[in-house]
Parts: sequence; structure tokens; C-alpha cells
Amino acid sequence: MANQKKERSTARKWTRRAFIGVGGLAGVGLVVGVGGYMHISSAVKKYSGKGMGDGNSMNAWVRIAPDNTVTIAVARAEMGQGVTTALPQLVAEELEVDMNSIKVVSPQPESPYSNTFLVTKNRPNAFKGYDLLEKVYAFLPVIATGGSTSVIDAWTNMRFAGATAREMLKTAAAKQWGTSLVNCKAENGYVINTATNDRLSYGELAEAASSIELDELPTLKKKEDFKIVGKPVKRLDSFEKVTGTAEYGIDIRLDGMLYAAIKHPSTIGAKIKSVSNEDTILNMPGVKKVLVLEDGPAAVVADNTWLASKAAQALQVEEEGGDVSISTEGILAQMNDLLKQKPLKITRNDGNVADAFAQEQANTKTIEARYDLPYLAHATMEPMNATVLVKDGKATLWCGHQAASVAHTMVEAVSGIPKKDITVNTTYLGGGFGRRGEPDFVRYATAVAKEMEGTPVQTIFTREEDMKNDMYRPMAASQFKAKISGDGELIAWDNKMVLQSCSNNAMGRIMPSMATAPADDETTAEGADNMPYVIKNQRVAFNDIQLPIQIGYWRSVGYSQNGFFAESFFDECAHAVGKDPYEFRRSKLGNHPRFAAVLDKVAEISNWKTPLPEGKYRGISLVKSYNSIVGEVVEISKQGEKEFKIDKVYAAIDCGNVVNPDIVDTQVQGGIIFGLTAALYGEITWKDGQVVQSNFPNYEMVRMGVCPEIQVHIMDIDEPPGGVGEPGTPPAAPALANALFAATGERIRTLPLNKQGYKFV
Amino acid sequence: MNLNINGKDYQVDADPAMPLLWVLRDVLNMTGTKYGCGVASCGACTVHIDGVAMRTCTLPASALEGKAITTIEGITKGNELSAVQKAWIEHSAPQCGYCQSGMIMAAEALLKENPDPTDKDINKSITNICRCGSYNRVRQAIKTAAKNLGNTEDQLLGSL
Repeated sequence: MANQKKERSTARKWTRRAFIGVGGLAGVGLVVGVGGYMHISSAVKKYSGKGMGDGNSMNAWVRIAPDNTVTIAVARAEMGQGVTTALPQLVAEELEVDMNSIKVVSPQPESPYSNTFLVTKNRPNAFKGYDLLEKVYAFLPVIATGGSTSVIDAWTNMRFAGATAREMLKTAAAKQWGTSLVNCKAENGYVINTATNDRLSYGELAEAASSIELDELPTLKKKEDFKIVGKPVKRLDSFEKVTGTAEYGIDIRLDGMLYAAIKHPSTIGAKIKSVSNEDTILNMPGVKKVLVLEDGPAAVVADNTWLASKAAQALQVEEEGGDVSISTEGILAQMNDLLKQKPLKITRNDGNVADAFAQEQANTKTIEARYDLPYLAHATMEPMNATVLVKDGKATLWCGHQAASVAHTMVEAVSGIPKKDITVNTTYLGGGFGRRGEPDFVRYATAVAKEMEGTPVQTIFTREEDMKNDMYRPMAASQFKAKISGDGELIAWDNKMVLQSCSNNAMGRIMPSMATAPADDETTAEGADNMPYVIKNQRVAFNDIQLPIQIGYWRSVGYSQNGFFAESFFDECAHAVGKDPYEFRRSKLGNHPRFAAVLDKVAEISNWKTPLPEGKYRGISLVKSYNSIVGEVVEISKQGEKEFKIDKVYAAIDCGNVVNPDIVDTQVQGGIIFGLTAALYGEITWKDGQVVQSNFPNYEMVRMGVCPEIQVHIMDIDEPPGGVGEPGTPPAAPALANALFAATGERIRTLPLNKQGYKFV
Repeated sequence: MNLNINGKDYQVDADPAMPLLWVLRDVLNMTGTKYGCGVASCGACTVHIDGVAMRTCTLPASALEGKAITTIEGITKGNELSAVQKAWIEHSAPQCGYCQSGMIMAAEALLKENPDPTDKDINKSITNICRCGSYNRVRQAIKTAAKNLGNTEDQLLGSL
């Protein structure tokens, strides 16, 4: 028996049975294959197929019903970035089915769906085999959506999911017809016998196909043969989203369900110890329960959200602990002090920066500047919420979460119910941007549901609770010094920043075993220490700052600050020696043709070389993040004293092979608006240990009237895909700030702009 | 209280101070209308009251007796999407989609009042927040819907 298993694994037979778990024994079917790779064992590849509807599974991703409906499991959170369209496109391309025959479901957080690229940065190929590290993360598993990784992770896996299913269907048809496989052609949901013109639908073949074992992996299509991938296929989720029928976590409605609202402690680090007016609150008609939860907050359970929120707000609580000394001014002073101290980590050290600055040289300029940026809230349109039912030793979660596996783990930890008895239902997400990868709202919802055993409870944060208890984009300060020759050579560049460590702080909550020490956090200096420009002497370093403030991953993470800092100061260098900001950048991209092509393209589409009419100004920037290069030009016009209109933003993106250009366009547009919102208005400040901002009136967003026209150019490049959810964001703020410098001669070294008297109409 | 929603009468037993948003969502389980801010700032909760776009998170339901309330669920006529909804799909306006019910309701009301809105008109009446940044697609969709509605009217006039 053991021999049989070994044979099957080494033969890389891809069957439905091979995917379904035959036992939880570690090591079953775990066989080292060629090149030291471990092929996916049945134990790691197990999936339940739960929620995938009628029919037969070809593998973990594809199930075909007798009525020819193709159900595709998309284990990435749909938060606007179009994964529930793009990932099925990859499957459909190889499976040879129409996009309209596809039904998308969100599977349980099971091993085959692990996002190994997110953690290993190896482009995965589960069908050919995982290396040991990938195997570990698949086994955990890490079912998470973030870091603009979904398409990168799916690019090969999802196409093989479609291709192997297609070959299984063809093989089943060949058997039924008693003909050779070469006579069988897959087309639009049918297998056609090219000799006889007989046809069998996938629905008719599915049952027989599901037990077919393939001897080898099929060859994937070449780019020039794509019919669905790379095409502007209409999103599969639009119909639901224009009819109000798309179901978000907050829309879950169950029989007998109650609603809970969370009241967090008012001061950072505090815990609510007790409630002094519990009787008054319980006397409000419709209020069911008042709870003080472990770890700080209180909650009120009632028969509707409005009442629960009102009652939670009316709670009179006694808090213990908390740090009332936390203030933005205090943090800034600390950061300024840390900027002067020896760095915790030098992340880049080319040439000899100290010598380069010390050396006397004629016709050179040395400039210095200090920048800072504030904390930012995610402010997803759908506030944090989760619905949980704890009943008969089992738990069910309904939640729009970026990391179903993290949510799963949290329900287990709080309820004490083992994972096998927990069902995770992932809904649409009303925005994510990093916030919905956090486990806090699942934790509180589970704690409430545990107290209300037998009753499903939807627990929500009001907008105010959501904004005041976010895991913020960290505040940061960055110090620069550069030496430039008169003819535009960048001789030396010295950059040091200070901020809290995201991967230490956020991962400590999300997946504690993966939290890095601050010194090892690669997100801290990203965007600062990986600029493409040729600079002979270059040093980038950072210091960590320890604060009780919860910080988190915010669309484009470290690039969101460092993109602004570095691309603004780079502009300062150009102007210091009277060089054109585009030419200055271009002259330093010698050995980076893809960067140069993007920069040239954005200059071309924005007519950079043609002077603008009077009263109009522009700025440029270039940032690579998440495996994609984006150049942006922002064009503004002066409307009055410190009053501007953002007329147009031009963007060029190199994200390698594109799955859906229309979605790339909207993602880049959205990323730019996200960056502009932060630049114009975004600021979370602290006073006496509390967050000052609470809701949109004091945390404003770019709206229709301020939103510029945006033109996105996608580079045609046959390289593996890069991310698109985040890379549009980092260049937006520096391109705008550089345009403002062109307009006013005032260098923007901090944001938001409204705080500095700038107005945008 | 008695509420007329999407042409149907509902007898609702709720606190008279309860905003319409929560009566819709939590009492009647009509969840297409969304909660975004609770202070009438973001527009996610927009519905029509007697044909006028209103933000309902601060609007007591009891004040709306005798008025015609239309929500996103009432925009689709049978299986037929409205011109605005069709244009929304054509331009792939929704990203996460959470704000889109409110956006669509605001756009429907705008087009009823102004069948051929300029960019300035759109800026003035569509003040809803979309955190995903779908504004340019929403703008294009409004213009397409305006054009298609205009064409329909021209056809109707032409057939007379």
C-alpha cells in the first residue's frame, strides 16, 4: 500500500482522489521528487469542496455540474480588486469555457488554496511541486489576500487547474467514444470528436472525468493563443453590485439574529474594567446584554444595530491603564531625536557615503531635507464587522476577511472549538486595503457570540469606533542628504527614516509566528532602499520607534511613505542643479530598461516635453512596488492663492502579463485616488492618548468634484505578472507635491496639504 | 408606523426615532442600502423619498409615513435593470461595490431632474464617497445612462 502511494506521488498523477484527503497523517504521500522539490501530497492537498454546489470536482478549484455550470473556487477576498473575475479568467482560458457559465464560490480555508507567494515570494507552481518552505505555508495554510499577490500567486496554479480539468474531461470523452485523445478537442464547454463531430458537454462528462488520472501535466497555452486572459472581460460581480444584492459581511441576516456594537476603551492601552450603568442600559427596550470583553472593549447586544450602537455609546465605563501622554507632537519630537541617533539597521550601503560627502569637489551641491508623514486610517466604506454563531460545540463565521485562515484561527482561539468544527463563510468585502487582514473584529464577534451561545450575533464597529481603533499606516519621519554635481550626477545619497515596524506590530496580531524583529522588517525601508536610480554612493538606514500605537498594513505599506519621501527629495535634487525632473530621473536608469520604458511612456502620454499653458503645472514620479513599475504625471492648474485643481493624472504601469486590462485600469485609478486622498486630507492625530479624528467630516476623502481625470497606459510586456492593487498609490502624492513645487516654489515636506493651507477644487 | 417602500406598504414596529436606514436593514432585512458613516456624510445610505435622493442614516423613519420610499431594490423593474444600472455594468463602475447602491440612487435622482448633466452638474450632485476611487467610471456611466435614456425618449417621441 505504501509503495502504491509512493508510486502515485512520484508519477505526479493529478486526480480528484489525490486531492481529497485520505487521512491527516503528516508525511502520507510526502515524497521528495526531482530537484529536491516535494510534490504536493494528498495530506496537503485536501479540500472539502464545501459550498461548491452540485456536480463533480476535477480538483480543488473546479467543479462541474450536470447542467454545465462550472463552479470555480476563488480563495482570495474580493475587495474591489476583481479577483473573482481575474482568477476565473485564468481557469476558463485553459478549461475552454465561457466566462458566463462560471459561478464563483469562496471555499473553506483549506491547504490547496494557500497563498504561498505572499509569504515566500516564490512564484508558486503547486501542480509541479512545492519546495519545503512553500509546503509549510500550504500546510498551515495561509489563505490571505494582500500585498498585491493574488494574480501572481494564481498565474500558474489557476491555469493548471483549468488545463488539468480539461484534459480529464477529454480523456473521459475519448474513453466513452473509444477513440484516441488526439481526436478530442475541448471547445466552449464541450469535448468534440474531430473524427465524427460527436459532442459531449462537460456536464455529461464530469462524473467520469473526476476519477481520471493524468500521466503528465498538460502544456499551458502561449500568450498569443489567449482568448480570455489579457482581455477586458466584464467583471462577474457587477450585476450583484448594481442591484444591491451583493452580500457583504454586514448584510448577513439569519433567523433569530441579534446585533452587537463594540465600545473600545477611550485611551490607548486602556482596558474597560467595568460598566457602572448596566441596569440603565439593560432597561432600554430591545437591549439584550451588556458585556465587558477580555482585552479591553465592552459590547452591547440588542435587536438592531442602531439600538446596539446607541446603547454602547451610552455605556458609562471605568477604564484602567492607558497612556494619556501619547500625542502627535510628542511622537514627532521623539522621531526627530531618533533621526539623529545611530540607526538600528542599514538596509543599503553602496560605495562610501561618508567619504563622498567629505570629499571637496568643485561645482557640486549638497542639499539636506527632513520629511514627515502622519498616521492614516484605512476607512473602508464597510465598517469592521463579523457574524458568529456558536452552537452545539460548533461555530460558524460569516465575514468579509482578507485572511480566512487568520479568521479561522481566531474563532478557534476565542471559542475553544477546534478548527474542524468551524465553518468560515467569506463574503464580499466593502473595502480592505489591509485593514481586513486584522483579526480584532473576528475576535470580538466570537467573544460576543460565545456569551450568546445558540444565537447568531452580528458584531459591528460604528464608523467612529472603526476610525478611532484602526491599525494605522505608521507615522514616519525621513531625513535626506544628497550631493549632486553641476552636470546632474548624483554623487551621494544618504537617507534615514524613523517609524514603527509594521511586520513586527501587525504580524504580531495576524500571525504571531511570522512577526519579524523591527530590524528585520523589510517593509520599513521599502521604496527608499530599492530605488532604480544609479547612485554610486548610497546609504539607506532606519530606526525603530517603540510606541503603544497599533499600526498595520495600509495599501502599499512602506512604499506609501517612502515613495513620497524619496521621489520628492529626488525632485529636490533635480531642481538643485537646474535639471528637468524627467530628464534627471531618465539619466539615472541606465541599466533598468523596464523602468526607463515606463518613465518614457508616462512622459510621452503626458506630453512632458511640451510646455504647459500659463497657470498649469506638473510633477512626475516613478516607483516600483509589488513587482510592478508605475510612473505618474500629475497636472494641476492654479485657481487662486494656494488653490488648485488637479486636472489630470497620467500613469504608465508595467505589471508584466495582464489578466484583465480593464481591471488593471480601475485598480491603478483607484490606487491614485487613494494616494491623492492621503495627500490632500489624510491625517490621524493623537491628543492625550486618544485619536482626534472620528468620521468623514474630519477625515475627508477625495470625492467626485475633486477627482481628476486619469489616463492609464498598460505596457505590453510578456513577463510574469506583477501586482496591481497597490502600485498605483505610491507615486501619486510625490507627483502632486512635485507639481505644487513647480507651481509655487514651495517644497512640500509633510502632508496633508489642507493642513498647510492648500485648497483643491 | 406605515411605510411605503418600492410601491409596497409595510407595517413596521420600531422606535419612531430609528433612522430609515436601520428600519430597512435590520427590521425589513433590505440590506442593499448601506451604512457608511451615520452622519449623512458619505451617501452610502441614499434612497429616494418622493423621488428625491436623501441620506437615510439620520432620517427618522417615522417622519416618512405617507411618502414614497424607493431603495436600490426598487430600481430594478422585474428582471429589467434600469438604464443607470446597465451603464454601471457597461463601465465596470463598482470595485468593492459597497458605496454603489448609494451612488446609483444619487445618479438616478440626478438624471430624473437633469436628463443631460454636465461634469459640473455631476460634481455638484454626486457627493458620495467611494473609497475604491470609482469616480471616473461613475461619471462615464452617468453620461452613458443619460445618453441611453435620451435615446429612449427620442424613440418614444419619434414613434408618436
